This record gives sequence, structure tokens and C-alpha cells, in this order.
Amino acid sequence: MSVGFRAVQWNRDKIVYDAILLAGVAGFIGIFLVVSFVNRPPKDRPDEIDRFIRAFGACAFVMLTVILCIGPLARLSPRFLPLLYNRRHFGVLTFIVAALHVWFMIEWYRAQGNLPNLLVELTTWGDYLKFVGFPFKVLGMAAFAILFVMAATSHDFWLMFMKPPAWKALHMALYVAYGLVVMHVALGIMQYDRSPLIPAMLFGGFGLVALLHLLAGMRDRRHDSGTVINPGWIAVGPPQSIPDKCARIVTAPDGERIAVFRDGDRIGALTNLCAHQNGPIGEGRIVDGCIACPWHGYQYRLEDGCAPPPFTEKLATYRVRIQRGVVEVDPAPLPPGTPAAITWGRG
Amino acid sequence: MTRKHRSIHRLIWPILAFAVGLGLTFALTLRAPPEPPAQERAT
Repeated sequence: MSVGFRAVQWNRDKIVYDAILLAGVAGFIGIFLVVSFVNRPPKDRPDEIDRFIRAFGACAFVMLTVILCIGPLARLSPRFLPLLYNRRHFGVLTFIVAALHVWFMIEWYRAQGNLPNLLVELTTWGDYLKFVGFPFKVLGMAAFAILFVMAATSHDFWLMFMKPPAWKALHMALYVAYGLVVMHVALGIMQYDRSPLIPAMLFGGFGLVALLHLLAGMRDRRHDSGTVINPGWIAVGPPQSIPDKCARIVTAPDGERIAVFRDGDRIGALTNLCAHQNGPIGEGRIVDGCIACPWHGYQYRLEDGCAPPPFTEKLATYRVRIQRGVVEVDPAPLPPGTPAAITWGRG
Repeated sequence: MTRKHRSIHRLIWPILAFAVGLGLTFALTLRAPPEPPAQERAT
């Protein structure tokens, strides 16, 4: 950790992540355009622009699908955690690709000299009562507006300004955006292009995202219901059942989770919510004497839940005791930064 | 994630999966049949 705090910190991992991302986007769009132009050369300028609309639209859809898979995949297996590290840049790049899709769409109207037709399409109110024939561009515009809000508030400034719970809740609107995008394609291009690739992409992409979220939700539900509660205290298990330098997560009666860590013979309990983005601290590890959040590496001391100097984040801690060889945790949180860890065997 | 976020997840995904799945199925089954080839149209 450096002494001087800066809101934006570039490091090698972020640069590599972004480079792979940019190369992937350029590769996808390049291959899409080459295959499209070789298979069926465009007959005029609007047809040429149409290929760009499709290329950027397909790319944005695939990117959204991947972004929405990262969260549940990381909850199902820690192997996918590196994808989560710089997911916000992924989101901002998706917005840029979607913006280019919109720009080419406007250009398509301009090339034919009938930009006013776009307004006519959007204001033919009778079409809003149809299912097939619904002004599908409105769905895309609504999704684009959500992507804009996501991208505009993605910076840590907004995270700190809004506080993590509200920021996280706002960014869940991305799920709605994804549903709108799927229907934008289904009621748009899928209605007049008979390529089987379009329904395959929609059913496959949305099906995968929904399945992963449902699986991750079911796994979490099992987790939440598996805690045995003694009068006033939650039984965690024998000290050895907590993997060294890792945690076991238990759920308090109010539904919030507590991460009980063991570092050799030291045992301590903290809230499972990282102060940065409410990431799952309990899925992290103790590295160099500090608990590291698996999402972005924010560190906290086991003793008192405080970030090491010069950082100032603090997590709520919980009282811990060992009764008849079983670690127990008091579900009432202590004020953030309160020392509460114990030494195994010495209580 | 907080308990509220988990609750939102558990509420939103089944609804979204059902609504979009239904919408996609209708969009696929109700779309207009493909135009007949030029020779068929001529006859």
C-alpha cells in the first residue's frame, strides 16, 4: 500500500485487464465486419452502416452478458475473481460500444436523409399497443439511458458519495437494462432477419446469465439456512474447522453475515461487508497479517477490523469465545474498529 | 452484499427470467413468416 491516497490508482493488473478488454472488443468487431463484408458485400452506404450497427450492437450484447456472468461465477468459484477486479472498466467500455451502436443508427437515418422518420417511429403511439411491431428502439434507448447512469456513477467518487449500499442498489438496474436489450433485439432485428444465430444468441446469453444467478442464489440460500444458533451466540464450530488464514461465514438472526477468521491461534469476527463495495470479506484470505477483500484487495486487521495506516476504513467486529471446544460469536455488532479477536486456548 | 441486496437478487432474477423468457418465446413464435422466394411469387 502506498502512503499517498489517490482516488484512481493504476497498476499493472488494471492495465493488463484493460488491454485484454480492448483487444477483445477490437477483435470481435473486426472479425464481425470482415465476415459480414466478405459473405455479402454491402450494396450501398446505408447497408454498409447497417453492418456497423450490427457489429457494435452484437458486441455490446456479448459484453453485457459477460459482465452479468462475472458476479455469480465469482460467487460460485474463486477462480473467476480476477474478472471481477476491474469490472467497472468493462462496464464503461460496454457503454462506449453501445454509444457507437446508437451513433451508427442515427448515421443510418442521416445517410438516407430521413432522420425525421426516427421521430415518427417513436411517436406512433398505436404501435405501443402491439407486441410484434412495438417500437423496439425505445427499449434500446431505455437500456442505453441505464448504461449511461451506470457509467457516469462508476467512479469511486460516486461510490463514496452515495455510500456502498445505495450505490450497489442503483447498479442493480443493470439487470433491467439487460432484459430491455434482449427484448430490443427480439422485437427488432430478430423479426426481419431469419438467421438462427440471433435467437441462439438471445436464448443462450440470457439463459446462461439467469441460470448462473439462480444457481448462485440457491447456493447462498443454503449458506444462510445452515447456521445453528445457541441462546444469544452463534456456534461456528471447532477452531480447526476454520481454515488457517481463511474464514467461515455465519449468518446473524437479522440475516446479515459475519466472517469468522483464524490466523494461526488468533480468531476474530468481522462483518462480511467490505467498506469499499460491500464485497464478501469472508471469502478473502489473510495476506501479510491483514484480511484482504477478494474483490479489490482492501485490507483490514483481524484484531480490530481497521485498515492499516494510512488508510482509515473500519469494519464492525463481533465478540468471539470458545465454549466446550466450539467457537461462538455474539451476533450483536461492536462499533467499527473495536478490538475483539481472541487467542485460541487462552480465551 | 447486504441482506437487502441478496433479497433483491432473489426477487428480481426469477421474475426477470420468467418475463424475458416469455417475451422471447412470443417474439420468436409470432414473427412474420419469411417472404417466399422470387420464383414462387412469380407463379
